[in-house]
Amino acid sequence: MMETIIGKRVPRIDGPAKVTGEAKYTVDIQMPGMLCAKILRSPLPHARILNIDTGKASRIPGVKAVITGKDAWDVRHGFVETPRYPADQYVLANDRVRYLGEEVAAVAAVDDDTAMEALDAIDVSYEEIPAVFDIFEAMKPGAPEIHPVEIPDLIGDFKNIGGQCANSYGDIEAAFARAHLIRKDRFEPELRTHCYLEPQATVAHYDAAGILHVWTSGMGTFRKRMHLSRILNIPASRVHVHKSWVGGAFGGKIDLFSHEFCTSLLSMKTGKPVRYAAEREEIFSYFRHSQNMIMDFETAVDREGILLGQRVRCYNDCGAYRGSGVVLIFTTWGYLVLPYRMPALDYIGYSVYTNNPVRAPQRGHAAPKIRFAGETQMDMIAADLGIDPLTIRLRNARRPGEALPNGDNIRKAGLIECIRQAAEKTDFVRKYERNRALQKAASPIKHGIGMGASGYFTGTLIYPNNSAAVVKFNDDGTVHLLTGALDIGQGAETILAQIVAQELSLGMEDIQVVAGDTDATPVDIGSWISGLTLVTGNAVKKAAEDARNVLLASASKVLQAPSGDLEMRSRRVFIKGTDRSISFEQAVARHIRDNDGDPIVGKGYSRGLKKAEFGPSLKNAKGTWSESYAFDAQIAEVEVDTRTGQIKITKAFTAHDCGFPINPLLVEGQIDGQASMAAGQAIAEEVVVKEGVTLNPSFLDYKLPTVHEMVEAQYVDVITEAYEKDREFVTKEVGEGYVSGILGAISNAVANATGKWSTKLPIKIAPDKEEEE
Amino acid sequence: MKRGNVKNLEKEKCSGKIITLTVNGEERLVAVEDRDTLLDVLRNKLSLTGAKEGCGTGECGSCTVLLDGQPVLACLMLAVGVVGKKITTIEGISAGGKLSPLQTAFIDHGAVQCGFCSSGMILSSTALLSANAKPSRQDIRKALEGNICRCTGYNKIIEAIESVKDQK
Repeated sequence: MMETIIGKRVPRIDGPAKVTGEAKYTVDIQMPGMLCAKILRSPLPHARILNIDTGKASRIPGVKAVITGKDAWDVRHGFVETPRYPADQYVLANDRVRYLGEEVAAVAAVDDDTAMEALDAIDVSYEEIPAVFDIFEAMKPGAPEIHPVEIPDLIGDFKNIGGQCANSYGDIEAAFARAHLIRKDRFEPELRTHCYLEPQATVAHYDAAGILHVWTSGMGTFRKRMHLSRILNIPASRVHVHKSWVGGAFGGKIDLFSHEFCTSLLSMKTGKPVRYAAEREEIFSYFRHSQNMIMDFETAVDREGILLGQRVRCYNDCGAYRGSGVVLIFTTWGYLVLPYRMPALDYIGYSVYTNNPVRAPQRGHAAPKIRFAGETQMDMIAADLGIDPLTIRLRNARRPGEALPNGDNIRKAGLIECIRQAAEKTDFVRKYERNRALQKAASPIKHGIGMGASGYFTGTLIYPNNSAAVVKFNDDGTVHLLTGALDIGQGAETILAQIVAQELSLGMEDIQVVAGDTDATPVDIGSWISGLTLVTGNAVKKAAEDARNVLLASASKVLQAPSGDLEMRSRRVFIKGTDRSISFEQAVARHIRDNDGDPIVGKGYSRGLKKAEFGPSLKNAKGTWSESYAFDAQIAEVEVDTRTGQIKITKAFTAHDCGFPINPLLVEGQIDGQASMAAGQAIAEEVVVKEGVTLNPSFLDYKLPTVHEMVEAQYVDVITEAYEKDREFVTKEVGEGYVSGILGAISNAVANATGKWSTKLPIKIAPDKEEEE
Repeated sequence: MKRGNVKNLEKEKCSGKIITLTVNGEERLVAVEDRDTLLDVLRNKLSLTGAKEGCGTGECGSCTVLLDGQPVLACLMLAVGVVGKKITTIEGISAGGKLSPLQTAFIDHGAVQCGFCSSGMILSSTALLSANAKPSRQDIRKALEGNICRCTGYNKIIEAIESVKDQK
């Protein structure tokens, strides 16, 4: 029986570098003669730039370069750049600023102090223009215009609409006409933020040969290279994005950012290495937070609680530029229809420009918001109908083999099994009924249990769409894996090495990974679209198989036995059932000798949605989205002190179908982190922005979970797929989907404890005393 | 240095001085200004970049180092104030290139994800375990309350520390 390494709790291969301080993050890079970059930001939320005088700043000794929008070739960029949604943001403000903190100029100087002094010496004349910060105010026809934009198929008489996604199917009128119950609720989650611990930073070095070397805290080097090449107007092959260790990202480091452009251009102007590192206060105040959204749900159900139809309107405040807002209003649709059957739908999502800072995706991109709303309303409906939360979910949950409204098949979806097991393992129904009975009891401490379910896509088609990998044998019989994957903490390098180890029957110590370098490694889909294990994993698997086939052919010649009679273990090839063998080392040497010096190099590649030309339409949600969907059911238990309104999340249970877990230790780590992030979002976290100004720009005031708010996390794995050698494997994402069901579960648990629903996040329970007044 | 404090920098610039710091058992001569934080000096003058700056204002714990065995926030300490004290950074924890049992436990239990908080977490828990070989879960929470981790939810960090405690 061959030993397997797939499915094992293998410790991460980058562990030693991380526990010794050896891992070099972008901010740790030091180079001789390196200059310091700083960015001048707009002090106003909406203004015309009349003039920028950089003369005085340029003359300060030690200042090496000053750049403004004039140096930026009138180039715009965007998270989405399509004919419908053309890029809308200048890399440095041109004639206008649209949010407080927008980048206006940048300097490179010999040290921090000189750079700061130079920023102070730049004289910018602004003419302030009226600004708008409230989403519904911004939509009014008389609101200040933020961009002259027109959506040709716009539904409604609205202004400042940056994007619209509309999708309807089924007979919605009939669904509402025959409904037993119709519920209308508005849900308003807070503005939240990533809190990646490593601040955003970039180091750029334009060398004497005209190559731009970049190290940047991102989520995929190939996407950064594409953007940098375009905005700097230099060929992609002359932009070398190196691997950087990344100190957390959670969606907040995908886009191209102004500081990456500025640092690069400052290096090109000076010929020196330049470093920019953001301060935490800058990140809280001016960098991209999560997208926020207000959601109106009108839901029709029959007597049994079966969903008949839904009218949903979502309003996303994308800030001063589109950012990922137009994607969010599409994914909102996706997570609306993914977990439960919805026979008729009338959906419109609007992404609205305001003078707030720009937004980015954050872990789950729409799913946490939409599942908070959907799961909370489902429990409200269940309560109205006198059905328990388990039964109503089992009646509506999608079953294996079902097709989504866009035609995607959810194949071996384990949602029903997740819901069943989650309920069973937590004694859900009994606790739920008991807590409900105790809502009116005298004790000020109330207990609650709640359920939420969710699904998540596993990769789609957005550049770079595909991954490739190379596995090359070394003379000693070990291998190097070349992959463009970037490990942002999730353990990408480790699971890819496990796949190679499995296919070649090697130990983890026999594999060295070269990763995330646009010059040295093949293209990679990136660590930001939840498709890495599926797409890159299969590319790596094929590369290892390719190398193995050549190795076995060589061994077959030496051993004079057909390849099919051979097996590999302990870096040797054996004839099955005998002790006749040769080492990998000998087989490699023999192959090189017999083939004019040709070494053994395996190549593999993979693309998500192989047959599709395009990804889904952001305009109407039509077209294929993903070929694999993950599902989960989650249970939260809470304790509420009704005297103080304090909520404590005591347990988070996750039943998940992530396909095949390559490394359960890493899967658990992803779930723990998501349960913790959801716990923070449910009861404490909120970025407070007033008129474009962030009022709580620090960890102290943002209140993300500390060790005292640790949530006890438990899991059960509902495995619906297998890993088979020589066959493509189907895995499902595990890094984003599990932040959503639990958010709904917490909301429902608080309602189970107190009898009161919260339609806003963070959940705030008014202390009893205030209620009596 | 925060944005709000940039006025009159000239007046703030002061002449440097040379001090001796005892870092990871070695005496190091460094030229500093009075206002240089210990974190600046460790990272920028001694190339000990294991201590991280996550916030620069004493809120996240990523810059934790040990001062005479006690965890402190290097971003809030002035370098000139720690002369004569024994400074231990993450680079000084694995003696002779061998990982400490705690470092190994962090890896084996999945207590490391992005790794940016790991130096601080390991130093805070190293100090805890040397003062109290059998800490309760409450003791562990108390010791780590100044160290933020966004990736792990803390569960596996606590597991890792408890596994080392149980070995002792």
